[in-house]
Amino acid sequence: MTAAPLTQTPPAKPSARGRTRVKQDPVTTTILALVLLILIFLVLLPLGRVLGEALSADGLAVLSRLASSRTNRATVLNTLVLGTVVGTVGTLVGFLLAYVQVRVAFRGKRLFHLICLLPVVSPPFAVATASITLFGRNGIISTQLLGQEWNIYGLPGLTLVLSLSFFPVAYMNLVGMLRSLDPAMEEAAASLGASKFTVFRTVTLPMVVPGLGASFLLLFTEAIADLANPLVIGGDYTVLASRAYIAINGEYNTAAGAAYSLVLLVPSLLVFLLQRYWSGRSSTVTVTGKPTGSFELLRANVARIPLLVVSVAVLALVVTVYAAVVVGAFVEILGVNNSFTLRHFEYLLSGIGNESMIDTTILALIATPIAGILGMLVAWLVVVRMRRGAALVDFLGMLGLAVPGTVIGIGYLVTFNRPVALFGVNIIAPLAGGSAIAGGAMAIVMVYVARSMPAGQRSGIASLQQIDKAIDEASTSLGASGAQTFLRVTLPLIRPAFLTGLVYAFARSMTTLSPIIFITTPHTKIMTSQILAEVDAGRFGNAFAFCTILILIVMTVIGGLNLLIRGTGAGREPR
Amino acid sequence: MRTFSRYGTALLTAVMAGGLALSGCAGSTDSGSSTTGSDEGPITIACGAMEDLCQAWTDKFTEQTGIKATYVRLSSGETVARLASAKDNPEFDVWHGGPVDGYGEAVNQGLIEAYTSPEAAKIPDEYKDPDGNWTGVYIGALGFCSNQSQLDKLGIDAPDSWDDLLDPALKGQVSMAHPSTSGTAFTTLWTQVTRLGGEDAGMDYMKQLHNNVLQYSKSGTAPGQIAGRGEAAVGLVFSHDCVKYQEEGMTDLVVSFPEEGTGYEVGGVALVAGSSHKAAAQAYIDFAISAEGQNVGQTVGSYQVLTNPDADTSDKMANLDDINLIDYDFAAAAAAKPDLTARFDEEIAAEPKE
Repeated sequence: MTAAPLTQTPPAKPSARGRTRVKQDPVTTTILALVLLILIFLVLLPLGRVLGEALSADGLAVLSRLASSRTNRATVLNTLVLGTVVGTVGTLVGFLLAYVQVRVAFRGKRLFHLICLLPVVSPPFAVATASITLFGRNGIISTQLLGQEWNIYGLPGLTLVLSLSFFPVAYMNLVGMLRSLDPAMEEAAASLGASKFTVFRTVTLPMVVPGLGASFLLLFTEAIADLANPLVIGGDYTVLASRAYIAINGEYNTAAGAAYSLVLLVPSLLVFLLQRYWSGRSSTVTVTGKPTGSFELLRANVARIPLLVVSVAVLALVVTVYAAVVVGAFVEILGVNNSFTLRHFEYLLSGIGNESMIDTTILALIATPIAGILGMLVAWLVVVRMRRGAALVDFLGMLGLAVPGTVIGIGYLVTFNRPVALFGVNIIAPLAGGSAIAGGAMAIVMVYVARSMPAGQRSGIASLQQIDKAIDEASTSLGASGAQTFLRVTLPLIRPAFLTGLVYAFARSMTTLSPIIFITTPHTKIMTSQILAEVDAGRFGNAFAFCTILILIVMTVIGGLNLLIRGTGAGREPR
Repeated sequence: MRTFSRYGTALLTAVMAGGLALSGCAGSTDSGSSTTGSDEGPITIACGAMEDLCQAWTDKFTEQTGIKATYVRLSSGETVARLASAKDNPEFDVWHGGPVDGYGEAVNQGLIEAYTSPEAAKIPDEYKDPDGNWTGVYIGALGFCSNQSQLDKLGIDAPDSWDDLLDPALKGQVSMAHPSTSGTAFTTLWTQVTRLGGEDAGMDYMKQLHNNVLQYSKSGTAPGQIAGRGEAAVGLVFSHDCVKYQEEGMTDLVVSFPEEGTGYEVGGVALVAGSSHKAAAQAYIDFAISAEGQNVGQTVGSYQVLTNPDADTSDKMANLDDINLIDYDFAAAAAAKPDLTARFDEEIAAEPKE
């Protein structure tokens, strides 16, 4: 039973049959065409414009200096090291917490889960800013409490902050995956006399390898494309994303920025292909459609206590960082003058922040269902429906995340701030910029979708790869159309992944920054860009207050989403 | 893998080509700017000052004239990038705030157009572009923004010369921004070039300073708050930024100036080329240059020195008569900037520290 639908043609089905089947199903073909059109419009068009810039004379000059300049080589190396370190650390932390959550018996699972999700719901520089306040050279914990002088600027700080920001992505993926594993195999191994650890090592772990791979990929691309943290806490550790930002914003050289971004695409692409190859090697079908039992929770203290101690330590760190954000919102200057004040909230609510809170929330709410459904559709097409070109569609969907936000933002600005014309006819009115329709809000929603859809797509793919194709085929052969099969059979099976996609899409939209910088207009104010302005100006209190409000909004909406999704139909209740 | 290389590559090429072709067509039939708004506004400002000052400026303008004005807060680099990419259909009408080095770059790229405001007659010539492309509305002098308790810990006095910054006791204790992203930091760099008499000598100084630098931040004002929170002992910022942080509660901060001479910035206002609300935009520029417009800063704790002789002064402002200002050539600085920042990036920023 090989499940390598992405990369290898399963032996039982010649590829010719796969092709005809797609042709025979007009619904699938229509969906495919529609999805392709949307993806091209959302990602490829703006990217094409930026690539055009990168290949201009200025851009080529940068590209040709890449190998010869020591500084540029160091930047590329820094980027790769950062991606690998954060990908590894974040995935390991995410896996540990997911395993403890799903498999270990302890009280307070709900709280544990909520704390794990906390970093997703906040803008990344909240973590960076709080970390400097806590662990910086004059930090509350480092200096004022422990009398140490740590230098957290550079790779150590970036690793801490980015791993803390992104481990929840791995956690969410892996929780979904661990929950949907068929316990039968583990039971079989256990009844054959294998010890718990042997079962874990030889049965459980291999089954989650695709999930680990997917997490590593996501975290790697997120880490190297992140801009806010290298700017705030990166120190002298220059990465390609911050170099591209400096080129565009400091040297007024969009072409050079585009060229650095082009280089940034290469490692993302390599990891992407590597992961695809790797996950194609291992057998992953675990959801077979046969009734499943439930797991036996880990209760032996010899394994339970160390796992819980490490998990609680990680969670304590998360809580401390966010406590600093919340406390920082209510004091004058955290760590300098700790007297209570409501000044920061007054500042925000007196007019500077209100509009942006409403605008940002509404736009993110519009983008969330679009991104969630689009992500699942792409995953479904890629894993279930497509033979040829599946890899390409998958790649196209991931592009929105793999490309640094700055590039997407510039791409949107140059592409959509005027009418888009095809053969001399304006087919679309201007979407971005101050003079666009709807005050530029459409472009922002599009960016939100492009940036947040890939997460849903990845978790959808990871989840679908575990499902035996026979289930889908049974539905089709009983006469159901592609759409019916998707809605009635596939969707319920990937419900956890879908929920993950929605939650992530909303949180991601609310916290997206770098592409937004370039397309904010006075008519649509966005919280993240205002937070960065406050961090930039050094008014951490205002930034913390903004972050606190943002976290509250995201938490409220996610709570609502959970109720909504759980409340409808017969979903698989997480245990 | 095989599938990808066999079909994928071909498809990828096709789609990429399609995307490029489509994007090539995009905007080829520019509808111009006739569709939106009128000459009277509403207008949009690209604002280079801090958020609260931007809001205070636009609010006051609307209150005075009845013309609706909105703003987006952008750094100089972001402004130039956005003006350049939206050249055919400008989304902004006025650029207000931020050092005029950036305005110089916009002039070179044809992104702003000359407008000589009647109010500008009062402004001294040294704070105006000779061709009328921009008018200076405030001046900031580069200073040392030190944290007194950190200095005490290190057992040194507040620096009052550039050489003081090279004191080994300040290792990792000096915070400055990256000259590529920050006008403030570029002013610091050009100040060394001017006072030491050449680019190589200026770079040499920065190389020595490098050993004492904590990190090159992105924002020009950030070193002030980094010092304010005690992350570093000295921040290199315009002195009014240091005063603003003092006002906001970072009471350990002290301002001092280098005796050998220091650089300064002129913050500008300019008309965006091709603005479709020209009359309103010009009214805004008149306002920005006027004494009332310039006085708005003090209401939100921004104590830049003002260029309009009729504007109010405050003892919180730096007194330019007491400070040794170098002869800062803005045109030469703007011309040297691309090469100099590239050299800085290549020869200094990424070097290991001793």
